[in-house]
Amino acid sequence: MLAFLGSAGMLVAVFGAGLLVWRGVAAARGDGAGDLIGAARVLIAGAVVAMGAMVIALLVDDFSLVYTANHHAAATPFPFNVATAWAALEGSIVLWGLVLAGYTWFVAARYRRSPDRLGAASLAVMGVVAIFFFGLMATVANPFEVCVEAAEIGCVESSWWPFAAADIPSDGPGPNPLLQNHLMMAIHPPILYLGYVGMTVPFAYAIGALALGVAGPEWLRRSHRSTVVAWSFLTLGILLGGWWAYEVLSWGGYWAWDPVENASLMPWLVATAFLHSGIVQQRRNMLQAWNLILVISTFSLTILGTFLTRSGTINSVHSFTQSAIGPALLGFLALTLVGSFLLFATRAEVVATSGRAKTFVSREGAFLINNLLLTIYAFVVLIGTTYPLILEAFTGTQVGVGEPFFNRLAVPLSFLLLLVMGFGPITPWGEAPPGLLWRRTRNPVVVALAVGLAAAALVTRNGWVVLSITLGVFVIGSIVGLLFEQAGKRVAKTDQRLGQAIRAVLTGDGAFWAGQLSHVGVVLVAIGIAFAANLGTHLEVDLEPGGSVEFEGYTIVYESPFQQSHPSKTTIGSRLSVLRGDRLVTIAEPAVNIFNDTAVPTPEVLHGPGGDFYITLLDIPSPESATLTLDTSPMIWVLWLGGLTTVAGGFLAMRARRHERRPAPEPRAIDV
Amino acid sequence: MSDGPHRNLERSMSERLRNVVTVTVVAVMAVTLVTLVVTDRSQPDRVQSIGQRIKCPVCQGESIANSPSAMARDMMDVVAEKVAAGETDDAIIDELLGSFSGAVLLDPPAAGSTLVLWLAPAIALMLGVVVIVWWRKHPTEHRPSPRPRARRIVPIALLAVAFGTIVVVAGSFLQDRAGPASGVAAIDTENLDDVSNETMKAVIAANAGHPEVDGMRLALAQRYFDANDYRLAFPHYLAVAQSPDATDTQAVTALVRLGWMAWDGNAEVETALELFDEALAIDEGSVTARYLKAQVLWCGAGDLDEAETLMQDILIDPDLPVDSREQVRREIEAIRAGTACK
Repeated sequence: MLAFLGSAGMLVAVFGAGLLVWRGVAAARGDGAGDLIGAARVLIAGAVVAMGAMVIALLVDDFSLVYTANHHAAATPFPFNVATAWAALEGSIVLWGLVLAGYTWFVAARYRRSPDRLGAASLAVMGVVAIFFFGLMATVANPFEVCVEAAEIGCVESSWWPFAAADIPSDGPGPNPLLQNHLMMAIHPPILYLGYVGMTVPFAYAIGALALGVAGPEWLRRSHRSTVVAWSFLTLGILLGGWWAYEVLSWGGYWAWDPVENASLMPWLVATAFLHSGIVQQRRNMLQAWNLILVISTFSLTILGTFLTRSGTINSVHSFTQSAIGPALLGFLALTLVGSFLLFATRAEVVATSGRAKTFVSREGAFLINNLLLTIYAFVVLIGTTYPLILEAFTGTQVGVGEPFFNRLAVPLSFLLLLVMGFGPITPWGEAPPGLLWRRTRNPVVVALAVGLAAAALVTRNGWVVLSITLGVFVIGSIVGLLFEQAGKRVAKTDQRLGQAIRAVLTGDGAFWAGQLSHVGVVLVAIGIAFAANLGTHLEVDLEPGGSVEFEGYTIVYESPFQQSHPSKTTIGSRLSVLRGDRLVTIAEPAVNIFNDTAVPTPEVLHGPGGDFYITLLDIPSPESATLTLDTSPMIWVLWLGGLTTVAGGFLAMRARRHERRPAPEPRAIDV
Repeated sequence: MSDGPHRNLERSMSERLRNVVTVTVVAVMAVTLVTLVVTDRSQPDRVQSIGQRIKCPVCQGESIANSPSAMARDMMDVVAEKVAAGETDDAIIDELLGSFSGAVLLDPPAAGSTLVLWLAPAIALMLGVVVIVWWRKHPTEHRPSPRPRARRIVPIALLAVAFGTIVVVAGSFLQDRAGPASGVAAIDTENLDDVSNETMKAVIAANAGHPEVDGMRLALAQRYFDANDYRLAFPHYLAVAQSPDATDTQAVTALVRLGWMAWDGNAEVETALELFDEALAIDEGSVTARYLKAQVLWCGAGDLDEAETLMQDILIDPDLPVDSREQVRREIEAIRAGTACK
């Protein structure tokens, strides 16, 4: 029954997507009017039914579905049973389809308010993408196959026909234990997908504009909000991934340049470049061709990322079993790249903008440098991630590309970006008068150097930490200086008090200041990373009951081992007293969770204003001892705070942008 | 009003003075800061930084500094010893790469096949600068005609098709890499339940020496083993144990089975214990090897203390399946009580 319901939903969605393409193309070729919201409703209804069937199957332990039989266990508790809906390959495609249908519905609703050819063409493009993903579901990644031959646990033989006589296994193996260990598993994928899939909207508008040969910033303006939403969710998704890795998976780190992490960082970097260069096009009527390239690249990188992580090419916690989805995704990627760039190449003359930066000492100059750095950054990540695969595929030579490589290139690029970030916002459009630039720079520079000196004298003389603090204070200082300068001007012109004036400035150009909030967030992230990466300490120790060890001012006493049994897992751990001097700080219980045969460690993290103290149970070499790793992560909370601040800036910008729409002024020196 | 120009002059004088002071202060602070940072004598943790440059041989892309696996921790101990002995980073890394097979440098050298990795970003950066400078000097002339010129499409289309082909070819290579090797691709080595013994024998004979065949041998041997037909199982376990291509898990399985057959079939206690030790040398964490060794110590060698220690060791091992715990616990009781084994 559920198999039928799910399959029907899937097919209805394919039909809705097809209808959208057909009607969208017709409307785009005609006067632009058409009933597209109807098609979008069919699409989203189908997607909701498919997802609903899947969730219900998991909730009622319907093991006649192969997906449930192989990825779910009756003992899996709520909410992990629901989250299992996107814990494996087929289900994750259903989630992808649902999110895509949601964005399509949103675009269609806006189209209904003001139907035109560009909107219709963009919806047709979204329909094509939806056909692909729901098509995947119906063919190579069908989540609603019925089990026709059950094993003791799970299913060995399946049929796509929903009415096939089902051989129902009594139980399944349950989801991947790593993903069962924390609530974050339920939240992380949907948020990341809201980011990934959202990049389809600007891509669809870009392709729509290219196909129609419509020049001008219209496509950019219309898709801006979706881009900001997608970017914010992508940022949040990456942040949660890092937090999860740190807090739950006990890697002791938040970022390891793992291919899967890189797959999400690449589109983020290019989308960030796009958000910035989009402003240049809207304000100065230049860089349209470049923006189109960035949007196409962002979308392609989301597909590439999905291919890398879902096809089994790279082994990691995110990759699923080998399936035909790899070639399908790869074919779609090739089609996207070839089709988009072919279209771009034939229409570039139409969409190219004539504006040019007069000088690099200008806002647009700073944006150009920012775009260059961000795209090189993305390129470094791309080549570092794919080169070892390609080399091994063609020559069989195994090379490792890991943290040291990425850090060597990413660290200087990040510092250069921070530097540009300090100058960009205080540099006027057009041509920046050197005097003005100097007046705006000198105070932040003095303050930054003073804080840097204080940090070097009082905290640490580590060069990376001092540099990140100095540059970070410079960035924040120039933002605050600009705010006070503009508020001061208002106070002089009107009778407002300073507080009122500041509020007026902030709301007057909300999108700009929301962006600056994100800049502050990025600064905090940089400082947090510098601290954690350079000043963290690490110790591995074997303890026997009653034994103790001194570490960074703490005394850790091993009290006893413990063991707990739960329906879906067994927990084996060590009970430790953590003392500071003679005072007991806490009883720490780092543990290892055993799901079936897989052991997943759970660390104990003690949070403090100066940073975290991190204890992992590594091994139990004999009944009487425990191997522990002790780590300190100084100031790590600055990293999380910074990430959240960056995301907050994104969400504020999304609300703010609607209020101010400026026409693109002609190039002349404008003082912000 | 008459002192206006004078006041302006005064203002510009004070402005100039302020600038001079600011520049001086900035210069002094910058020099002090750089001096402080450069003279920082705290050393970075060399053991960690060397560990981060070496890939852990048994992990998926993790460095030995980040991996919790036993092998990575052994390697880190070696690094720590050598750092303490005052060896240089390069010497330590060379020795590790030489003595642990499968260990790879995660920090690719700017030479040979990985030179591209370092050159490409540099070239891309230079190209980017050139393009931006060129772009600024060459404004596009707007052509309102939406019709593209046909003759331009041909070379672009060719380029696009070539690029698409490269993507697809590269990708299918990647897919192949992840899939089974071609020699035994016809048979799924993961799921051998439906394959007859005869078929297995044929496949093994046809692919003798092929790395993928070890899994098949183990599956076939397992069937003979389960049927208590040690004579037929023996040659296959022996072949896997001697196979250079067998994975550690496969080799351990084969050695453990050989050991058990030596004891159970021929009552050769010494040989059995040697084989278990050999298996434990490959994977000291193997629960099966330790469990069977304990059984042989208990039943064959009569070394009850050693057997009990091993069993207790297993009991708290997270790799021990949960439902086997009770049995192990019962057997420990039996050993303690001095009961003879079955």
